[in-house]
Amino acid sequence: MASSGSGYDLSSSTFSPDGRIFQVEYATKAVEHAGTAIGILCSDGVVLGVQKPLLHKLLVSSFSQRIYTVASNCGVAMTGFVPDGRQVVTRGMEEAATFVENYGSSIPPSILADRIATYVHYFTLHGALRPFGASVMIAGYDEETKKPSLSMVDPNGVAYSYYGCAAGKGRQPAKTELEKLELHKTPITCDEAVKQICRIIHVLWDESKDKPFELEVSWLSEKTGWKHKGVPKEVLAQATAWAKEQLEEEDDDEEEGEEGMEE
Amino acid sequence: MSRDSNYDHHISIFSPQGRLYQMEYAFKAANSGLTGVAVRGKDSVCVVTQKKVPDRLMQPDSVTHLFALTPKVGCCVTGVMADSKAYVQRARYEAGKWQFDNGYSTPTKVVAKRMADIAQVNTQSASMRPLACMALMIGVDDETGPCVFKVDCAGHYLPFKAAATGPKEQEAMNFLEKKVEDLPEYTQDQVIRCAITCLGSVLGSDFRGSEIEVGTIATTKGKFTVLTEEEIEAHLNSIADDTDA
Repeated sequence: MASSGSGYDLSSSTFSPDGRIFQVEYATKAVEHAGTAIGILCSDGVVLGVQKPLLHKLLVSSFSQRIYTVASNCGVAMTGFVPDGRQVVTRGMEEAATFVENYGSSIPPSILADRIATYVHYFTLHGALRPFGASVMIAGYDEETKKPSLSMVDPNGVAYSYYGCAAGKGRQPAKTELEKLELHKTPITCDEAVKQICRIIHVLWDESKDKPFELEVSWLSEKTGWKHKGVPKEVLAQATAWAKEQLEEEDDDEEEGEEGMEE
Repeated sequence: MSRDSNYDHHISIFSPQGRLYQMEYAFKAANSGLTGVAVRGKDSVCVVTQKKVPDRLMQPDSVTHLFALTPKVGCCVTGVMADSKAYVQRARYEAGKWQFDNGYSTPTKVVAKRMADIAQVNTQSASMRPLACMALMIGVDDETGPCVFKVDCAGHYLPFKAAATGPKEQEAMNFLEKKVEDLPEYTQDQVIRCAITCLGSVLGSDFRGSEIEVGTIATTKGKFTVLTEEEIEAHLNSIADDTDA
């Protein structure tokens, strides 16, 4: 049984003998090289955050965007291979625009997620194409049901709705942190979510090993009039300061020799 | 492209022994998902499958394998989830188009045949791979009554009195074969309970209402409905009472 590709991993249109499509699995691995992205569905909206590692000191920072507004009521965050992610986001913008043209109302986020998933999935079917190496999170507000929603589409082209989701390098530890918040039982507010996202990203960052980064955070809530917007700089600065305080407290506790603290 | 002499393993061409390896591998992928069971009764049908939410952070509502292709034709698609969703999209389109062209609601056998024909094309062309999913389509036909169609990735489609897909397909079919004489007289409740019992016996576990999904259509006038957790619990309780009695 070929569990290491070995010839069955050359195209999307080839199954391996145990029924796996290796190209899609490799594409999912490609996402894990990029900065962590986190999305949280809150009691009063949705918050998305993406960590952008600053690769070169000479780069003009804050140019490279990871979170886009594809429709006034929908925002999309992407991580992974950035050019691929941009293609997916552009397709999302087209879907949202043609939906308004055809149906006269703004696209419900669940439909947008399905459309994006269908598009991403198509690239896992043809031998002439390769899958996208990017995961995409869709935050939106449905004007019919009056509810906010959060979905994620990964490179194999399936969309699920989440209470909280993570993708990228720190996916596993971020998910563990999100599970600790017990979002499915007691959702938190958007303000709280911004702080938690900052905290989780800082917890995962290792000063000695990782490059310095920039955090891009956006939200969609009643306060923003259900429009997807970037979180204001002051709010983000406060959240980052709070996050760093939390970390120092935990470090101090550790130094005091308190056991049972996982870090 | 690979210069592997086993090129017949890589694309949909015949091996010297006359086998289509890619199609066989697709079956492996399609049968690696959940087990689904569909049963046909006197004037109703139902399909049952497991509900496994892979991640605690996922919303359980967004994880489903039961889909309405039209209000009167439902299906359970198991296998690779991404392929299943694409399959349902196409099936819904085809069913809708047929209804528009012909002026009356698409019968189950028409959707089944159309999706089977589409699946066959993927086994003959090199550029696209088969979709790794198995479909159990259910409906109550105006002319022929309740029906269950199993459509697979190779393009086979056959009507069944009762059918199963997934890793426990063989065991489930054995279970259902024992009941084949009684099935034509089953009421809707009996059909649902038979399917649930079958699934329970092959998976070797007792269920709670949140661990399975049940889709059913009552009569020619009925619509495809997915039962709520409470309704499933009611069925599970009466199954338990019957076995105790």
